[in-house]
Amino acid sequence: VTPASPPPDRARPAEASPGEPSTVRASTTIDGYLAEVAARLPGPARLRYPILAELRSGLLDAAEAYQAAGQTPDAAARAAVLDFGAPGPVAAGFQAELASRQARQVAIAVLVTGPLTGLLWLLTAVASHLGPDLPGLGTGLSPGARGGLVLVAAAIVGTAWAAAAGIAATGRLTRWLPVRPGRAPLAAALAGFCAAAADGLGVTVLAAELVLAPGRLALLPAVLATVAGLTRLALAGRAARRCLTTRAALA
Amino acid sequence: MRAEALKGHLDGILLAVLEPEPRHGYAIMEALRVRSGGQVDLPTGTVYPALHRLERAGLVRADWSVAGGRRRRVYQLTAAGRRALDAERSTWRDFSAAVTALLQPGSPPPAAVSAS
Repeated sequence: VTPASPPPDRARPAEASPGEPSTVRASTTIDGYLAEVAARLPGPARLRYPILAELRSGLLDAAEAYQAAGQTPDAAARAAVLDFGAPGPVAAGFQAELASRQARQVAIAVLVTGPLTGLLWLLTAVASHLGPDLPGLGTGLSPGARGGLVLVAAAIVGTAWAAAAGIAATGRLTRWLPVRPGRAPLAAALAGFCAAAADGLGVTVLAAELVLAPGRLALLPAVLATVAGLTRLALAGRAARRCLTTRAALA
Repeated sequence: MRAEALKGHLDGILLAVLEPEPRHGYAIMEALRVRSGGQVDLPTGTVYPALHRLERAGLVRADWSVAGGRRRRVYQLTAAGRRALDAERSTWRDFSAAVTALLQPGSPPPAAVSAS
């Protein structure tokens, strides 16, 4: 596959010349190849960009070495692209990594924002003088709200479990535990949907209490908790759907 | 040597190439080619995802650095990466000794191999 062996490691052009030849930088062959890889690489732009930037610098390094070995700029760029192999397998290799990173970020975000919204709930409970009854938080609430809170608690348990699984499947544990590529995005999506469910149920309980029993809950923290819950509901739901989209694209 | 023949060993090979010094993607490919006497000639593009996987597993660390006006991602072994490389080496030694003994024409297998 390698038409001419580029100079060995020690003679890297990067160390030889301070600037890169404009002919190499402007290569349409290399940018065309990268566009083909990018087209097969779905996922968040902030994760895709560094990957493509790294591939580009590797291609330019290779092209430069071929050029230093006497090839024309065009032939050098073509040789570098040929060494890289077909864009399909390259993109497929990165898809799993991308899905894994995305899943990890979503799982961590869900896990971190959970206690923050929980804090606003606690604030509402304390400000509404439900605090002293904390072990039986529901005592000052209507039976419907109490039942709702049980469902919220179940959704929170589900969220924590799925998020922990998503984080475990994407970090250092993978050194010892081989994880199939589709697992982490699935766990992260589950965490996102559970978080959205917890927020949706929580907001419903709050709104019901505010409307059906005006004055029972302190208005300001209850409204803040509602806004935070709705925001997290929207963001977690969107992130979960995106994880599923990425997962569906896995080869 | 084709990619399939190296399957299962690519991680160890990449760690070994990074053992002497940190390298960026192109330098890693060059080192693979040079150290294998030109025998290993993988499609370059497939090595990058493997490096990212090693990074996620905490076996290598990657940092962007600028040299000669070009930004490159430079990989280096972590302490865990060195340990993994040691483990990979001893596994390979046992494996290759066993296969060498098995492929030898006619000679009885050494006790160590038949016991393992």
